[in-house]
Amino acid sequence: MKRAVRVGTDEKLVLTANRLLDGVIVWRDRLGQWRPHIGVAEKLDAEQVAPVLELAQARAQADGVVGVYEVAVKDVEPPEPVTVRERIRAYGPTVHPEFAVETVQ
Amino acid sequence: MSVPVGHYQYDQIDRDFLDARIAEFSEQVARRIDGTLTEDEFKPLRLMNGLYLQLHAYMLRIAIPYGTIDSKQMRMFAYIARRYDRDYGHFTTRQNIQFNWIKLEETPDILRDLARVDMHAIQTSGNCIRNVTSDEFAGAAADELVDPRIHAEILRQWSTLHPEFTFLPRKFKIAISGSPNDRVAARFHDIGILARPGDDGRTVFRIFVGGGLGRTPIIGQEIFDAVPEERLLATLEAIVRVYNAHGRRDNIYKARIKILVQALGIDAYREAVEAELAQMDLEHYRLTPDMVDAIQARFAVPTLSAPGNPAQELANKRRENPEFDLWVRSNTHPHRDAGHIIAVVSLKPAGGIPGDATSAQMDRLADLADEYSFGELRITHLQNIVLGHVRQDRLYDLWTSLKEVDLASANIGLIGDIVACPGLDYCALANARSIPIAQKLGARFGDASLQAEIGALRINISGCINACGHHHAGHIGLLGVDKRGEEFFQITLGGRAENGASIGTILGPALPEDDTVDAIARLVDRYLGMREKGETFLDTLDRLGDAPFKEAAYETV
Repeated sequence: MKRAVRVGTDEKLVLTANRLLDGVIVWRDRLGQWRPHIGVAEKLDAEQVAPVLELAQARAQADGVVGVYEVAVKDVEPPEPVTVRERIRAYGPTVHPEFAVETVQ
Repeated sequence: MSVPVGHYQYDQIDRDFLDARIAEFSEQVARRIDGTLTEDEFKPLRLMNGLYLQLHAYMLRIAIPYGTIDSKQMRMFAYIARRYDRDYGHFTTRQNIQFNWIKLEETPDILRDLARVDMHAIQTSGNCIRNVTSDEFAGAAADELVDPRIHAEILRQWSTLHPEFTFLPRKFKIAISGSPNDRVAARFHDIGILARPGDDGRTVFRIFVGGGLGRTPIIGQEIFDAVPEERLLATLEAIVRVYNAHGRRDNIYKARIKILVQALGIDAYREAVEAELAQMDLEHYRLTPDMVDAIQARFAVPTLSAPGNPAQELANKRRENPEFDLWVRSNTHPHRDAGHIIAVVSLKPAGGIPGDATSAQMDRLADLADEYSFGELRITHLQNIVLGHVRQDRLYDLWTSLKEVDLASANIGLIGDIVACPGLDYCALANARSIPIAQKLGARFGDASLQAEIGALRINISGCINACGHHHAGHIGLLGVDKRGEEFFQITLGGRAENGASIGTILGPALPEDDTVDAIARLVDRYLGMREKGETFLDTLDRLGDAPFKEAAYETV
């Protein structure tokens, strides 16, 4: 069973996944759409996340995404992932600046 | 149809098999996309076809049997990089290539393109026998006793879709060499094989079992000293059967054969293998001279002709051009033919990403292979490219051409020849990034003269304990660890994969990335200050122990 993500003070949670067809990293916005920019991700409180996550996982195939999970972010605009791993997912590989992903469209 | 130099020529049976396999996978992809297959159901199927889902996208790992390809195959890699990926590929420590930005929906097309040049991605993942690796100088090196690629091909055919060994307790890696100088890290493989001529002229095999890196690094132990050629397949079958029957399946971290060999002891393991052999139909597994000869006939042998005095011409060019001379010193190896030489093309430019090549570089390497080395290329487990049969009087022209595409770094076996896994920039398993610290170290020690002055010194970097960067086997090893969200690196010293294999020992507490680069620089300075005439880094380390290096590494921390 996956461990719950620890959420610190001044931190929130956002939902992420990979797009099924091309693997592109996507973030769930407040309308439930999956978009490739973390800047549009809906920030959730820790106590809010469980039902939203459950619904998103249940809809993953219909929404064309795979591997839905939650990520802790700093509660700033745009949200900034807490871990190095998720920052690399959000912004692109650090060794190829030309592949950098914008935080907003 | 001409037979390729250096690797096996497919026949219609091979091609029909690939076509059927691609049709099957295409259907599986379609069923995944339409939702008939869940991700949990699809994952083992895609992995069996080399398709991973990594941090940013799908990653396709393509098998390069015993690390050897021809120029058409290299051009196909370049095409895949341009057409389906982001214009580059990454050569791995298993002599394979992987592409990091693949789309699931395009994967069947990629596999069809690969099949057009007799290639695939089968068994580059999953708990099966993986791509068999071999000596990058096979069939060319002056010090070679037996060309191991013929038997590597036999092992490829034996292990591909082997019905008993498709669901082993864990992945299984085999390496084979035919040189007294181990260039395949034989003692760090599940099975390591060293081939040599037997008294009757047929090949015999010394076999090591239970080696490996990862979270439990162990040096393989000799299980048999001289297996005759006709018993090779039976012996390997028995070794893997014992593992398949008794290897642990309850704990992924204790599932490799090395854990079983440690638990039983090598003598008990050998007895179990001999008991298995005693009840096998050995005739069924007998590898006859005719079979070996038939496989050998599918490999073309290069016609090595070098009229005039090529060695003298090479010597003249070296005298005239010190930069070329420096490159020849580090990037070549003696060939079995006096007029030829083996050239190693470094994929480690100063500050570059170890093992990466752009599509333009791949195309150019294919052209140069056609022009200088019978259209043959080898991928090394140290993430470089070998042109195996270059005429000595043409080496200067080759070097000049390599310079034009930034592939003439003079650093093979030196501190700039860094081995690194993809790390956290790409890999879903990693804890830390391997590439940035490799780039910083590569830039810090980028000067070719400085590298020559430092001498033989290998740095290997892994981004997690799975050790794909072989850090345990590096003269200096770096293991990336995550400490409360920050990347740190643990330094090990004294690892080596060649003859006299050993596992590096941890120097002390892990350091932040920038401190690690400075610590390595101080450590190298300490070596240069303390070495005696003619000593390599390992010689000095063996003589003095790690205390002076530990003092240097941590002196300002």
